[in-house]
Amino acid sequence: MAEIKKVAVIGAGVMGAAIAAHVANAGIPCVLLDIVPKDAKNRNAFAEGAVEKMLKTKPAPFMHAKNARLITTGNLEDHLNLLADVDWICEAIIENPAIKRDLYQKLEGVRKPGSIVTSNTSTIPLATLLEGLPDSFARDFGITHFFNPPRYMRLFELVKGPQTRDDAIAALAHFGDVVLGKEVVRCKDTPGFIANRIGIYWSYVAMSLAFKHGLTVEETDALVGKPMGIPKTGIFGLGDLTGIDLAPHVNASMLRLLPATDAFPQAFEPEGKLVRLIGKMIEGGYTGRKGKGGFYRARGKEVLDLETGEYRPKQKAALDSVNASRKGLRALVEHGDKGGKYSWDLLSRVLSYAASLIPEISDDILSVDRAMKTGYAWKFGPFEQIDQLGTRWFADRLRAEGRPVPRIVDVADGRPLYKEEGEKAYYLTLSGDYAEIPVADDAWSLADKKRGKARIAGNRGASIWDIGDGVACLEFHTKMNAIDADILNMVKEAANLHKKGYKALVIGHDGDNFSVGANVGIALFQANVAMWPVLEGGIAEGQNIYKALKYSPFPVVAAVAGMALGGGCEITLHCDAVQAHAESYMGLVEVGVGVLPGWGGCKEMITRHVLNKKRPGGPMPPLATVFEMISTAKVSTSAAEAREMLFLRETDAITMNRRRVLADAKARALAMVEGYQPPKPVELNLAGASGKAALDIAVEGFALQGKATKHDVVVSGAVARVLTGGDKDITEVTTEDDLYALEREGFMSLIRTNATLDRIEHMLTTGKPLRN
Amino acid sequence: MRNVVIAGFVRSPFTLARKGALAKVRADELAAQVVKGLIAKTGVNPDDIEDVIMGCAFPEGEQGLNVARMVSFLAGIPLSAAGTTVNRFCGSSMQGIHQAAGAIQMGAGEVFICAGVEQMTRVPMGGFNVSPHPRLAKEYPQAYVGMGITAENLAKQHGISREAQQQMAIESHAKAAAAQAAGKFTDEIVAIVDGNKTVDQDGCIRADTSMEGLSGLKPAFDEKGTVTAGTSSPLTDGASAVLVCSEEYATAQGWTPLARIKSIAVAGCAPEIMGIGPVPATAKALKRAGLALDDIDIIEINEAFAAQALACLKESGMKSERINLDGGAIALGHPMGATGARITGKAASLLRREGKKYALATQCIGGGQGIATVLEAI
Repeated sequence: MAEIKKVAVIGAGVMGAAIAAHVANAGIPCVLLDIVPKDAKNRNAFAEGAVEKMLKTKPAPFMHAKNARLITTGNLEDHLNLLADVDWICEAIIENPAIKRDLYQKLEGVRKPGSIVTSNTSTIPLATLLEGLPDSFARDFGITHFFNPPRYMRLFELVKGPQTRDDAIAALAHFGDVVLGKEVVRCKDTPGFIANRIGIYWSYVAMSLAFKHGLTVEETDALVGKPMGIPKTGIFGLGDLTGIDLAPHVNASMLRLLPATDAFPQAFEPEGKLVRLIGKMIEGGYTGRKGKGGFYRARGKEVLDLETGEYRPKQKAALDSVNASRKGLRALVEHGDKGGKYSWDLLSRVLSYAASLIPEISDDILSVDRAMKTGYAWKFGPFEQIDQLGTRWFADRLRAEGRPVPRIVDVADGRPLYKEEGEKAYYLTLSGDYAEIPVADDAWSLADKKRGKARIAGNRGASIWDIGDGVACLEFHTKMNAIDADILNMVKEAANLHKKGYKALVIGHDGDNFSVGANVGIALFQANVAMWPVLEGGIAEGQNIYKALKYSPFPVVAAVAGMALGGGCEITLHCDAVQAHAESYMGLVEVGVGVLPGWGGCKEMITRHVLNKKRPGGPMPPLATVFEMISTAKVSTSAAEAREMLFLRETDAITMNRRRVLADAKARALAMVEGYQPPKPVELNLAGASGKAALDIAVEGFALQGKATKHDVVVSGAVARVLTGGDKDITEVTTEDDLYALEREGFMSLIRTNATLDRIEHMLTTGKPLRN
Repeated sequence: MRNVVIAGFVRSPFTLARKGALAKVRADELAAQVVKGLIAKTGVNPDDIEDVIMGCAFPEGEQGLNVARMVSFLAGIPLSAAGTTVNRFCGSSMQGIHQAAGAIQMGAGEVFICAGVEQMTRVPMGGFNVSPHPRLAKEYPQAYVGMGITAENLAKQHGISREAQQQMAIESHAKAAAAQAAGKFTDEIVAIVDGNKTVDQDGCIRADTSMEGLSGLKPAFDEKGTVTAGTSSPLTDGASAVLVCSEEYATAQGWTPLARIKSIAVAGCAPEIMGIGPVPATAKALKRAGLALDDIDIIEINEAFAAQALACLKESGMKSERINLDGGAIALGHPMGATGARITGKAASLLRREGKKYALATQCIGGGQGIATVLEAI
C-alpha cells in the first residue's frame, strides 16, 4: 500500500480549504489551488484568501495557527506543477460534472504515476464523473466525502469505483482513519451515498411534518433534539447553523438523482408550505446564523412563526411527550399528544426509509448507523433506534397502519438488530444471521474490552478493567466525569495494581470528556459548615493520591479526549505519559470558582515551564507564562495547543482518531514497561518575593484596566505566592512537597473567603463563572 | 570652553512592534545599519571616533552585552573606538549626546557617535525578568508605576480631557503624514536591509486618524480613565544616531554642522507623574542657556502620551504651533532608547530647514525624570 505523504486539494471554497486545513492539522503538507480570479492582481487570491479567512474562523478549522504554514497556496494556471509530487489529489470544486471532468483531464498531464485522485462530491455518482476519462485515470480515482466542518465532523465516506485499485482505496482508508482521524465508512456509488441520502430526507421530513402536525419551531426542536438524540440544536436550529440557502440545492440535486419511486421525491412538495417559506427566507436574506437570522434570530430570543412567517418572542415548548421521552423512544412515539404523533410520523418514515435502503446503499446496518452518528451527529443510528423501539413492536405498528415493513426488520422477526453475547457484539444481516462486529487490535472502545467481563474493582464513580496484556484501565463514570471521593479511592487502588500483577495502567474511557474537574459541591458544603480541617485533609488526600500515582512503580498513561480541566487535568499531569486525542481541551480553570489548582497543578506546571529547555532565560519568563495560564483559566483549544502550553510534554503523543486513543495509550504503556523507572523528584529555584512583587504589579494594572475583578486580584495573589515559592528566596531550593504545602495554604486561604464561596455557589447553580 | 555641535542625524524607519516591517530585525543589526548610514552620510573618518555611545532602555537579550560594542563590530568601526551603553530609559540616547558633549568640553575626545536603539518586538518593555524590590513595591509603589497610569494621573491633575488628547494625536498623525508625503523624512531615514527586503518607510503613521475613530477606543490603562492606545505612543522598533563633535573638528573637515549644543539638563520629579519631567528639565536648560522659552522657535517634545505632552505644554507655556513640526511619537512611534537621539537630531535639522535660531529637545523619563537639550543655529 502506497503511503500518502503529501496531499493537494483543488478548490479553496469552504469545504476544500477546510479539508486542506485538516490535512495540515495532521502534520501533512498540502497544496491548495483554485482558479485565477477574473482581472486579478493576485493570481492566488482565492487560495490565499481562504487560508487567511480560516485563521479567523470560529470554530477554528486549524488546530493550531502554525498549521497554516503547511499549506502551499497557488492557482490552477501557474502551479499545476506543484501537483507532480503529490500522493493524493482531492478535488473539491463546484458540483458540476463537466467542469470536474475538465479538471481531471488537466490533472492527467501533471500528476505522478500511481497518485490517487478523489472527488469530494456530495451527490454526483462516480460513474458520471469518469465519463470520457481513460482507464488509467479510473484506476486511480475514487470519491472521498468529508462532512462540514471537516475538522470536527468525523465521517469520511469512501466510494470505490468498479475500476479503482484496491490498494488506492486501502491507502485512502488508512489515511482517513489513522492520519486524519475520521470514521471511514465504505459506501456504494449511489446518490448521496449513505449519510446525505438519509440525512437530506430526514431534514426535509422533520421540517415539513412540523407544519402538518401544527407544531411550532420550538416544539419541533424540543422533540427532535434531546428526545430523538439529534444535536441539541434540533432540526430548525441545525438548518440555521448549516445555512438555510443550502437546502434548495441539496434537495434539488437529490431529487434529480433519485427515482420517482423513492420516498424522498414521494414526500417532497415543491409547492408546499416549507419550500415556500424557505424560498421567502432566502429572498429576504434570512439564511440562518450567517445571514440576518433564520428560524431563530437575535441569539435565539426570537423565533419564526411557521404559520405567519413573522418573528415573535421565543416560547418554551411545553409538550407532555417531551417529558415522556425520558422513559425512552417508545414512550415518545406512543404518546397521544401532537408531539407524540409528530415523532411517530417522523421516526416511522425515517427509520423505514433507512431500513429499506439495505442493501441498496450498504450491505450492513453497522455502516449506516456509523455514518449517521458521525456525519449528522445523531446520538443513535437509525438501526439502534429501531432496536430501542423493538423490532417486533415497530413491525407490528407499521403493519397495523398498512405500511410496508422493511426487509431487514422483517428478517429480524422480533429479534434485536444488535446483540451482545459473551465478549462479542453482533449485528443482524439480511440473511437473517448475525455477523460479528469486528474489533481491531489498534482501534477499540473501552466498551469493547468490558463486554462480557467483570470489573477488577470499582465503586459508583469509577471502575478498573482488565484490558489485556497485563494492562489495567481506570474508567471514570461520574456525571461529566468530575473527580470525587469515589474516583480518588479508585485512583488510589489503581496506583497499587502492580501488586496484583499488572504491568501498566491506562486512565481513560469512552466518554466525551476525560474529566471536567473536581466536584466542588463537597468543598462548598464543608466550607459552609466550617469543616476546615476536613477540607484541608481532602486537599492533602488528593495530593497524596496523585503523588502516589506519579511515583507508582509501573507506567501510567492517561488517555485524554475532550475536556480535561481542573482536577481532571491535574491527574493527567501526574501520569508518566499522556496519549491525547487531537481534540483535547486541557486547562487549569480553578480560579473560575475562586480557588487555585491544589492537587499538584501549580506544582507540575511551574516545574515543566522552569525546566523547559526552549524557554527564555531568567526566573520570570516561565513564572509569567504559568501565572497567566492559571490566573486566566486558559484552556487549550486542541491537543496541539495543549502541547504548546506544556499540558502535554514532548514525550506525550497525539492520536487523531478518537477510536484509537485507548489502544494507542495501551501500546504506549506497554512500551514503557521494560526498564521502567518512576520519575525522580525535582527541585526548583523559584523567583521568590521579587517575582511575586512583579506579578502583583501586573495584576493591579489589569484591575485598573477593568480586566481583573476585585476577587481576581485576591485569587491571583494566592496563585502568585505558590508559583514563586512562597517565602523561599531564589537562592533556596523549593521541593515538590514545599509546593504541595503552598498549594494547600493557598487553597485554604481562598476557600475561607466569601467571594470564593459565592463563585462556587454561582457555578453550581448556573454553570457559569461569577465575576466578582 | 570648546563648542560642541551636532554634525549629522539619521534614523531607521520606525515601525510597529510585532506587526511592523522591522519585527524580525535584531536590535544590534538595526542599530549597526543606522550607524553605518550615519558614517556614510557625514563622511566622518571612522578612525577619529572616540566612542560609540548607545542609548537603550532595556539593554538585555539581543540588545544586551554592551550593545554599543556589538554594533561597532557589526558596523565595521575601527577597534580603536570604544563603545558604551547608556540607560536613562526613554532619555537614554539624549543622555548619550550629553555625555559626548561633556567629554568634548573636557577635551576627552573629538568625535562621538551617539546612537540609540529599542527593538520592542524582541525585548519586551520591562525586560525579560522584571524583579521589583518587594519592600519598595509595597512601601513606595510609585517606583514601579505603569507609564499609562502616570499619563492618567497627569490628565486628572491638569484637567486634560480625552478630546484634547485625541486632538493632539490627530494633529501628530496629520503632521507626520504630511511630512512623509512631502518626502521630508527621506533625508533622515536609512533604509534597513533585511535579507532580500528593504524597509525605508515609517510604519506607525496613520493618515486617517480621526476623532471618530479615536473616540471608539477603550481606555488602555484605567477603565475609568481617558488615555487610550490612540493617544499613547505605540510600541515601536527603531534606531537613530547623531554625530557629535567639537566645532573645531567640524570646521577642520569643512562641514556645516546642523546645530551647536547650547545647554543641557536633567531633572527629577515624582515618578507617578513622570510625564511632567520635561518642565523642570527645560527650565534648567533654558536658564543655563540664558534664554527664555519665548526665544525657542523649534521644540521637539516627546509625545510619550498626549496627556503628558499637553500637561507639559500647559505647565511650561510652550506654544503648540512650535512643537513637533513633522509629527511626534504618537504618530512616528517611540522606540524608547532611540527617541532621544531622534528628537535632538530632528530639532537640529529643523533649525536649519526652518532657518530658525534656537531649538529645544526634551522628553520625560520613567521613574520620574526629564531631560532637555537647547540647540543653537550655526
